[in-house]
Amino acid sequence: MAKKDMVKTLTNVSTIENQNKIAYLFILPWLLGFLAFVIYPFFQTIYNSAFQITSAANTLVYEFNLNVNGGNFGTAFRNLYFFPQLLDFIVMEATYVPTIIIVAFILALLLNTGNKGQSAFRVIYFFPVIIMSGPVAGILRYNGAGSLFDYMNNIIFKMLVSYSPRFASALSDLFANFTMVLWFTGIPIILFINALQKINTNLYEAAKIDGASSWQILWKIKVPIVKSTGFIVSIFTIVQIGTYSLNPIYNTIKGSIYSTAGGIGLASTFAFIYTLVVFSLVGIAFLLLGREPKSKVIHLSSIQRASLEAVHLKRQSVNKGKVNES
Amino acid sequence: MKSLILKLKNVLQFIKQKEGGLKEYYRTHKVKINRLISRIFVYVFLITIAYVFVYPIMKMISISFMSSTDLVNPEVIWLPKKFTFSNYAVAWKVLKGQVSLFNSIKYSTLLAVLQTVISAITGFAFARYEFKGKKVLYTVLLMSFIIPIPILLITQYNMFSNFYTQLGWFGNSGRGLGTYDSQIIMALFGQGVNSAILILIFVNFFKMIPNDLYEAGKIDGATPLQLFWHITIKLSLSTIVVVFLFSFVWNWNEAYVTDFFVGDGIELFTNQLGKFDSLFPSRASEGRTEGDALQLVESFKMAATVISIIPLLILYFVGQKSFVEGIEKTGITGE
Repeated sequence: MAKKDMVKTLTNVSTIENQNKIAYLFILPWLLGFLAFVIYPFFQTIYNSAFQITSAANTLVYEFNLNVNGGNFGTAFRNLYFFPQLLDFIVMEATYVPTIIIVAFILALLLNTGNKGQSAFRVIYFFPVIIMSGPVAGILRYNGAGSLFDYMNNIIFKMLVSYSPRFASALSDLFANFTMVLWFTGIPIILFINALQKINTNLYEAAKIDGASSWQILWKIKVPIVKSTGFIVSIFTIVQIGTYSLNPIYNTIKGSIYSTAGGIGLASTFAFIYTLVVFSLVGIAFLLLGREPKSKVIHLSSIQRASLEAVHLKRQSVNKGKVNES
Repeated sequence: MKSLILKLKNVLQFIKQKEGGLKEYYRTHKVKINRLISRIFVYVFLITIAYVFVYPIMKMISISFMSSTDLVNPEVIWLPKKFTFSNYAVAWKVLKGQVSLFNSIKYSTLLAVLQTVISAITGFAFARYEFKGKKVLYTVLLMSFIIPIPILLITQYNMFSNFYTQLGWFGNSGRGLGTYDSQIIMALFGQGVNSAILILIFVNFFKMIPNDLYEAGKIDGATPLQLFWHITIKLSLSTIVVVFLFSFVWNWNEAYVTDFFVGDGIELFTNQLGKFDSLFPSRASEGRTEGDALQLVESFKMAATVISIIPLLILYFVGQKSFVEGIEKTGITGE
């Protein structure tokens, strides 16, 4: 045991110091803030959601109401605005996030081909990140500057409307705000380019020697490697769309704080349900993109191996013969 | 350009030389031609997308110069018949430009400085030290990024409101709600806008600083604070600029939290722009003679929007490299 420890200490060439106390000092402001402004509010708000809270003489009066008609949760379900907005939000995330990921990936691929002038394009694609604040985006969207295409008269679109109005309306929202959707791709593009540039170019060489087309290289090498970045991008996008100040739920929550019927309790319930939705969206993104792919291990019997080797040798000799002929 | 023309001439000659020259040329230069075609396609696609990106901005700028007659004139699409700058003058007045520009710059800078300092300190601890609970804390830090703001904001608001009541701070005294105090306090404790990302940027960068420097510093008897200041900070000035710029822009654009805590207490570009419609009637006609009240048209709003993003655009074109490289090099990619 002692020997093991010694080996451990000898081989453990840590690049990091071990002075715990100092580290705690450095981390202290953030940790305090985190406890006070994240952990405590998070659980307090969840706790709030079970109460009818009224403010009297600058103190909050808590009144448990979960047993009456489902309490705040019942009220939230019966609220005329909240659930439709929540549904809209989910549809928005479900249409925007995949679009943003795919568009950002395609643009990153095209910006990573080594052509001239790519940095100029990158500058253009990134600038919305800088200026996109709630009011600016709101005004641009309100004035219809966000929509470009006259998609309503498109035959395919008309067919879609008659076939499935809900799907068509989701799609039309996507097209109507296509520029806004593109404006979310600024940071994803950079992340994807970064991930693509990190791929070892030897892999491409090897694939080409084995006769892979560039299409196969894209699907068999680039996409699997970039998948983990795709997960980060998807989380980033989900959060970004959520915090986007045009999100109607935000205003509903804010409005219900000051309303006499709802108050802080109902607002907390809204916030809690909304948070659950966002978390489950992130969970779905994790299930789709976040898991490490399982590597396949193929066990061959000795006969199979021998036959494979034989095939390989045969091929080589055929190839050699070809070379000799030419 | 000349060489390009020469090349074209050569190609044409080659094609004219004999029967089926075009086919022959294609056969011999297949790879080159294919590459050229694909490149043209790529550029056309990129330019189209770039157009979609800047379309709202161009439209906004073009409308902001239009007079009210140009707006309804169907012939005018991009270029107004008569450029008027008067829209900007009115918009500036409605935004209370001189006050809100100063306030926006002042508070964004203040919050950005606080955020940068605290993020650097926290990032240093996560990057350089091993301590109990580090993994848990780091995971929690990253997880905190996905917590939606409203669920925190409701209780935060109550906390601050309580806190200010006990101190006797009310908005009208220049302290408490209605001022930036709450956000300054939160930034001081590392909980500003997107703090998690800023800390992450620092952690990733500080990890890249070679350990030898710290070893050398320690042998010479440097204290942790000296290691932090003389090695870490002085080596990462570019990263500090990146974090500061991002923090500045995010604080400038932040509207929801500010609306909660500051409300109408302080004039800022964002909140003035958000309430442009309701502010317009009272402010636009100030100093005008009676009966000459201005009608609210799109041009004024667009001019106001342009005004409010000009500072950010200037910042972007000055620090454009920092913004892009900041995300690239310091890798939010999270490996």
